[in-house]
Amino acid sequence: MFFLYPMYEGFVLTVYDDDALLPIRESPTLSGATVAKLPLGTELEINDRRSQEMVNAGSDDLITDQWFQVEGTGVDGSLLRGWVTEARIRVREEDASGQPLAGTVRPRLGEGADPLTKIHAEPNETSSVVGQLEQRATVTITQSAELEVWFLVQPADDMNSGAAAGWAPSSYLRVSEDASRGWVSGATSGEFTTKFIQRMVDDRFFGPALRTTLLLLVLIIPVQLVLALAMALVIHARIRLNSGFLYVFALPIGMSDLAAGILFFSIFTGNGLLNSALDGLGIIDGPFAFLTAETTGWILVAIVAAEVWRATSIMMVIIVAGLQAIPDETLEAAELFGANYFQRVRHIILPLLKPSIQVALILRTILALQVFAVVVALSGGDVVTVLANESFRQYADLRNTNVASAYALFILLLSVASAVFYLRSVRSEAEVRPT
Amino acid sequence: MAEILVERVAKSFGDKVAVKDVNLTIKDREFMVLLGPSGCGKTTLLRAIAGLGMADAGRIAIGGRDVTYQPPGQRNISMVFQSYAIFPHMTVRDNIGFGLKMNKVDKSTIRKRIEEAAELLHIEELLDRRPSAMSGGQRQRVAVARAIAMQAKVLLMDEPLSNLDALLRLEMRAELKRLLADVDATTVYVTHDQIEALSMGDRVAVMRDGEIQQCDAPNTVYESPTNRFVGSFIGNPPMNFLEGNIKRSNGQTAVEVAKHEFSLTPETQSLIHDLPGNKVTLGIRAENMETLLQPTPETVAVNVEVVEPLGAQNLLTVSVGGHRLKVSTHPTLEVATDQVLHIRFPANQIRWIDPTTNNVLYTP
Repeated sequence: MFFLYPMYEGFVLTVYDDDALLPIRESPTLSGATVAKLPLGTELEINDRRSQEMVNAGSDDLITDQWFQVEGTGVDGSLLRGWVTEARIRVREEDASGQPLAGTVRPRLGEGADPLTKIHAEPNETSSVVGQLEQRATVTITQSAELEVWFLVQPADDMNSGAAAGWAPSSYLRVSEDASRGWVSGATSGEFTTKFIQRMVDDRFFGPALRTTLLLLVLIIPVQLVLALAMALVIHARIRLNSGFLYVFALPIGMSDLAAGILFFSIFTGNGLLNSALDGLGIIDGPFAFLTAETTGWILVAIVAAEVWRATSIMMVIIVAGLQAIPDETLEAAELFGANYFQRVRHIILPLLKPSIQVALILRTILALQVFAVVVALSGGDVVTVLANESFRQYADLRNTNVASAYALFILLLSVASAVFYLRSVRSEAEVRPT
Repeated sequence: MAEILVERVAKSFGDKVAVKDVNLTIKDREFMVLLGPSGCGKTTLLRAIAGLGMADAGRIAIGGRDVTYQPPGQRNISMVFQSYAIFPHMTVRDNIGFGLKMNKVDKSTIRKRIEEAAELLHIEELLDRRPSAMSGGQRQRVAVARAIAMQAKVLLMDEPLSNLDALLRLEMRAELKRLLADVDATTVYVTHDQIEALSMGDRVAVMRDGEIQQCDAPNTVYESPTNRFVGSFIGNPPMNFLEGNIKRSNGQTAVEVAKHEFSLTPETQSLIHDLPGNKVTLGIRAENMETLLQPTPETVAVNVEVVEPLGAQNLLTVSVGGHRLKVSTHPTLEVATDQVLHIRFPANQIRWIDPTTNNVLYTP
């Protein structure tokens, strides 16, 4: 679970959009059954409004109604207590802080209008009516409540015109001046989508990042494999100063990749070691700017150098372990039967090292696909970019967790593919199972 | 001709001296066994001959050619390793042919030799298999076939049977002996198993603490050890040793052991007479004593402590004057614990040993 869950979460982030759809409901409450789900931007016709429970108080698009709890004498002469919308009450008296204390019921204007005003048991229009007030009746205001307006909407664009009408809270809608039309501006319901992957692939940095990552892979891995083999053979040869070699070779493992990047930045920078050396030898006049946008080739050289310096020993350690697993007598037998050193390496050592080389290649390739800090340190992450850097950019700069996650998953996919490739191409289990 | 000459060869690992100043001449086509307890330097000596691990000092020549500074591949030798050292990633065929391929022998010859070697060791049906799925005995056969296929003048074997179980070892011992009789090679065979050494070798070099104690034919090594160590290391049970006092009187010398006076043969008289001090050690093998039920003037009375019937013989542990002896008797002689027996020590079977040098004074 500990290992699987984060991966599952990453996968969900990549292919599932949490805020893609707005559910519209049968009745203007969150408990109302969903009749349809509308994507962001859907154009709407608005047919009715109701004051209802608050759904999303912080939203920019929130439209509210004020309701008062009032006490007064009803049409039938009884004492009434209930809720009525602020639109029906003219406030006559306020306390020092502006809280309404008392008012009168507004008269209704126009022909055929109901002269009476309904008082509700709860602060919304769907609750039961407890009684009615005459116009201009005096009431005391005991409490006020703010309610969100819900709109009865009907999708109006071609794509969703078939969908049924339903209620949606104002905070997820942008409505026109006269509240007759609008569109979906927020959403609460998710859907599976390829749009994040699409956005990653369409990103202008995706192509360069993928190309550079693969180029670095092709430049670094073969150099490192040959170097690591040579270093391991030197250590295995048990010559003098042997442990000295081991320490020198292995020391860079102890340095973080960022530190290694900074170190090589200081070598390649304008007044860095390399320029000083070249200048001192009279090869160049004055410093040469290696790490600029015009010299991306040199930046790549610096990245390859830093990576080779830093991570070759990881492969070496694995190969040394593999070498030590070869029994001395096996190598002695080869020597005794006339194999010289290169024949021993070719016919005995390399075939027996296959499993170790395979592990070293898989591990190193996976690490190379994740190359990040060295690139950022040497190029700033814009001139030359790699996949891991794009993942970071999407997450940190663009605040786009989903696309960042898509990049991360893409790296994972490449890693798995490379591991499968190595396992198939350096197939070996049957041949070199130690005896 | 592949005579092996080892001259004053020495080798040490740090402070530990493994081989000191060893001289050894192994004749052409001889089967020489290096025998000794573990840590005696026998494997180090073999590896020096092979060229695996350079000797610190001395000279090694094979077939009249000085190979002291030559790598193993150029010494015209082949070897069977204790762990077999078969190449696990190659088929049996490639294993057997490896040395020939490295020496650029032409392909048809390689194929022929592989098949011959495989036939000799009855592993023809294994040729295209890999060693990983094979039993210890099969791997051993592959290792021997690989060594034989080289047709080298010198064949070195480092405890080749020690990793096999007892039954298989017995079977392979006889088979190896038959096989190596047909192979025209000078063989050096390292073992710590005295039965292997005695049954297989033309000569046995018994080693201890980096030195060769005795190098003789198996019978000689057994019958006439040159010193106490060889007598005690070879033979099961080992040789018996009894401390005795020298009695010198009127030019006559005798030795008293366990209150019995032993008269000496003319050859040993003067040797023992000339020994400094009064002590001398008597050595005799268990099967060389005569056991009698009735005393005679020549016998020593002993008390039987343990009777071990071993089928072909009964092995008795007897005590006499504070000494313990192992005596083997014919199984038909009925002996009971605590019985008194009388033992005769035939003069020509007794080996007198100088207790200060531990060397046998005279061997007939």
